[in-house]
Amino acid sequence: MARYSKLRNWLSLLEGPQTWGRGRVFWAGFLLVVAAASAYPLFADGYDVGNNVYFFNWTFMALGLCLIWGYGGALSFGQTAFFGVAGYAYGILTINFGDAYGFTLIALLAAVGIAALLAAVLGYFLFFGRISGVFLGIVTLSVTLVLERFMAQTAGPEWRIGSARLNGFNGMGSMPSLTIPWPGGDIVLFPDVALYYVTLGLLVLVYLGLRILVNSRFGNVLVAIRENPERAEMLGYDIRKYQLGMFLIGSALAGLSGVLYTSWGNYITPSSMGMTAAALPIVWVAVGGRSDLTATLLGTLLVLACFQALTIYGSQYALVVMGILLVLTVLLVPKGVVLGLASLASRLFSRGKQGATSP
Amino acid sequence: MYKRLSGTLAAVGALMLTSGLAAAQEPIKVGVLEDQSGDFAAATIGKVHAIELATEEINKAGGISGRPIELVVYDTQSDNTRYQEFMRRVLQRDKVDVVFAGFSSASREAYRPIVNQFDGFAFYNNQYEGGVCDANMVVTGAVPEQQFSTLIPWMMETYGKKVYTLAADYNFGQISAEWVRNIVKENGGEMVGEEFIPLGVSQFSQSIQNIQAAKPDFVVTLLVGTAQASYYEQAASANLGLPMASSVNVGQGYEHKRFTPPSLANMYVTTNYIEEVDTPASKDFLARFKAKFPDEPYVNQEAANSYIALNLYKEMVERANGSTVRDDLRKIIAEGDVCFDGPSGKVCLDPKSQHMSHTIFLAKVEADHSITFPKVWEDIKPYWLGDAGCDLTQNDPSEQYTPSNPPPKAN
Amino acid sequence: MTLLFEAFTFLYQAGDAFAFLVLSACGLAVIFGMMGVINLAHGEFILCGAYVSASTARMGLPLPLAILCGALVAGVIGMIVERVIIRPLYQRPLDTIVATWGISMIATQGTLILLGSTMPGTGTPFGSFTVGAYSYSIYRLVLMGAALATLLGLWLIFTRTRFGLLARATIQVPHMAESLGVNTSLIYSLTFGLGAALAGLAGGLYAPTMTLVPTMGSAFVVEAFVTVVVGGADIFLGTAPAAAILGVIKAALTSWQGQLFGQIGLLVAVIIVIRILPRGISGWILRERT
Repeated sequence: MARYSKLRNWLSLLEGPQTWGRGRVFWAGFLLVVAAASAYPLFADGYDVGNNVYFFNWTFMALGLCLIWGYGGALSFGQTAFFGVAGYAYGILTINFGDAYGFTLIALLAAVGIAALLAAVLGYFLFFGRISGVFLGIVTLSVTLVLERFMAQTAGPEWRIGSARLNGFNGMGSMPSLTIPWPGGDIVLFPDVALYYVTLGLLVLVYLGLRILVNSRFGNVLVAIRENPERAEMLGYDIRKYQLGMFLIGSALAGLSGVLYTSWGNYITPSSMGMTAAALPIVWVAVGGRSDLTATLLGTLLVLACFQALTIYGSQYALVVMGILLVLTVLLVPKGVVLGLASLASRLFSRGKQGATSP
Repeated sequence: MYKRLSGTLAAVGALMLTSGLAAAQEPIKVGVLEDQSGDFAAATIGKVHAIELATEEINKAGGISGRPIELVVYDTQSDNTRYQEFMRRVLQRDKVDVVFAGFSSASREAYRPIVNQFDGFAFYNNQYEGGVCDANMVVTGAVPEQQFSTLIPWMMETYGKKVYTLAADYNFGQISAEWVRNIVKENGGEMVGEEFIPLGVSQFSQSIQNIQAAKPDFVVTLLVGTAQASYYEQAASANLGLPMASSVNVGQGYEHKRFTPPSLANMYVTTNYIEEVDTPASKDFLARFKAKFPDEPYVNQEAANSYIALNLYKEMVERANGSTVRDDLRKIIAEGDVCFDGPSGKVCLDPKSQHMSHTIFLAKVEADHSITFPKVWEDIKPYWLGDAGCDLTQNDPSEQYTPSNPPPKAN
Repeated sequence: MTLLFEAFTFLYQAGDAFAFLVLSACGLAVIFGMMGVINLAHGEFILCGAYVSASTARMGLPLPLAILCGALVAGVIGMIVERVIIRPLYQRPLDTIVATWGISMIATQGTLILLGSTMPGTGTPFGSFTVGAYSYSIYRLVLMGAALATLLGLWLIFTRTRFGLLARATIQVPHMAESLGVNTSLIYSLTFGLGAALAGLAGGLYAPTMTLVPTMGSAFVVEAFVTVVVGGADIFLGTAPAAAILGVIKAALTSWQGQLFGQIGLLVAVIIVIRILPRGISGWILRERT
């Protein structure tokens, strides 16, 4: 009985003041979207399925940044550092130990764990050192750039961990993809339908998990810290611990993105940790709407798909159009595209209702 | 009713006839993944233009085995992740027969797993550090043994035995520096210094001082990227005054056109083609290129390689009786005489490594940045991979090897 | 005697690094340090200055005038950008990241489309001189002088002119300044324009020594940002000493172990300094004073 009510408590946190969307209509819509996404591979060709997996891979990093920046108020430029560390860790582990007996899954957990460990060390350094604001951004940017510069020159044969050569700027390749052990024959998760379902499943789990997290006591304290750190401290919370916690979780999610990307393309390179790569998650989250998980998720997918489409069909004007879109988004929809569209839609609906009832 | 039936039959018959004809005219799809924007655009826009020129000429002459070439071009924005995205798209969605892709080695290593996964066929038309032993790849770019085994001994004979290397600090620079080191030693010379510069660095005051301290007879400059090319301007303004040798500048990034004289004076470059080559074949190629693209800033070795590559592909497919199946084409390559007589002379594909032999031109940049050619080496083969143990006619390791990481010796 | 030569060598290298950091960072110190706008398009203002000064110099203008021309054009474009795009974002500093990233993409790709992938340079003037065993470029000394002159000029502008006084007042307490009758929107435009002009000046000064391509701004951006942030909000108490300290560290590491160490060492130094002085150097100095 007690366990059942505890579960109910947890599930009730799926809705709350920190996340957009509540009530029957929202969850019905959510189930509809998940059902459509699950049915998608039946109608789409192999390329689109693999391409969508590619988009899903990046969303974990974006959700992590949403937690750190949108809810915690800390601008971390260093998500790509954890992306790269986890990606390389996965590569090193699986090249050395192979993919038998489901080891790749253990490697996935270990790589995310290593990224989380690095995040704990860096987070301790940052938050217990009272670094905040733009200084936090610069320090995290410096960390990711140091990693990139260092890894880019590891091309020589002496740079190896076990039998895995780091291979510098050219990148590390030929690591095995994620493989699920199965009695009949291991299922290798190439960018195809099986990987699509695994990634979709992970995404739904992480999304729901984050919703519960931000609506819980932890999330409320985070938002309090974001709004006014001194007041939160005066209310008795050790804000450094909460900030460290959210940084750990957000960076671990970036690590998850890194492992999934490395497994998807069988390749990881130092430029994934460079300046341009570091600015991209910030752009996705800011354009989508950083103060809300759903907005970030939808916004990231939207921006990725839009930019790819522009690059394919836009020839040399693609980058110009992307730049214009970014500027317009910031000027016209300050809360982010998704939230802006949502508030527009709700205003239209309420006006419609009013119009219907007026004589 | 009979009228309607006969009309339908006639229509169906006509349809079948035309679809039969259409099948014969079905285009050969060539995917092109090149960086037309971003950091690498300066050296790679010419490659796309060269492919377009070759396509136009081949189609005018009747196509490949009667089938026209259709180009599917994507701009990869100098971004490795775009190579991954678009290689999947071009192989899985557009279902092209062959892909011409890549400038930096990182981009090639990013897309090679995908080419292997879909069992595609890709041409890498760029000079690089050598060592790719992969049956899905044909490499027309020059490799270190072709460029350094010609350049370094000549420089040592002409200027002296003390050498200083200034190289970009990543795979291409480090491996090229290793080649230089080995060749200098073999020829009895002395490396008085080696310095590696991270990519993106543009300020060289300290390096210039180090070179002066080491007092070499000439400097081997293996600088990659537009930021690093600033070295030449800064060295000239500090009056360094040493002859320079390179395998990568001038031929790829046409620095002699972009920097004011005399910053590149006394620079010697081994390249498999630059637009100043004055053989009749080269002049003819250049004239046709400029006719189609009058505003082209420069026709570099990568552009020439891309042009040659498309023509080599044409030869392969026609000798395989019009088949674009990769294994059929590999059988043709294994015969050992797939050659093309083009802007740089006669070049052939080596069956063991699927790399290309080259005519190597030694280009000297004079004080006014005009080019002379003190020496030309004909038919330099890409011998290293074959000698080291890579034989694509026997097996397919799909690996990249280096002098310090050679193929495992077969028992 | 060799000791003097060694000292000169070290001073030259440190001064060279210092000049690069100061000139890259000044414009950003005004726009980011003073106005709080995170300007990821800083490199593109440098690009603008470089391209304009190179093309006017090639057209026949003497180099100093060409460089000033570049700075001026960058400043005017900065004022336009401020009016149209940045003005609505002062209350939302973190959104300036996305906006300026967008401007950066437009500027870089636009330059590529309109002006091609490369532009011919002008060559470095003044030749070289020798001290001891080494020969050095005279122009690098000019750059060091320009860096010091820029700092001096900025100090004079901000402390001795009416504009400087109004600018500092407007940025610190805008509502007070406005109620005193100051045309705050004009001040914002001019200050942003000044920052952009300083970036253009850096571009024009370094253009003779570098390759001119649309992506050339990226060579300056990271080091500019770290210098400004390590310095803290004040240009004179912050950016200048930060550039000096970081310049010495970078020169020392580069001469000891090579360029990679210099680069990584600079970034590591940034991390350490911010850990010790969480508000940057000027934040520490000002707090010490009060």
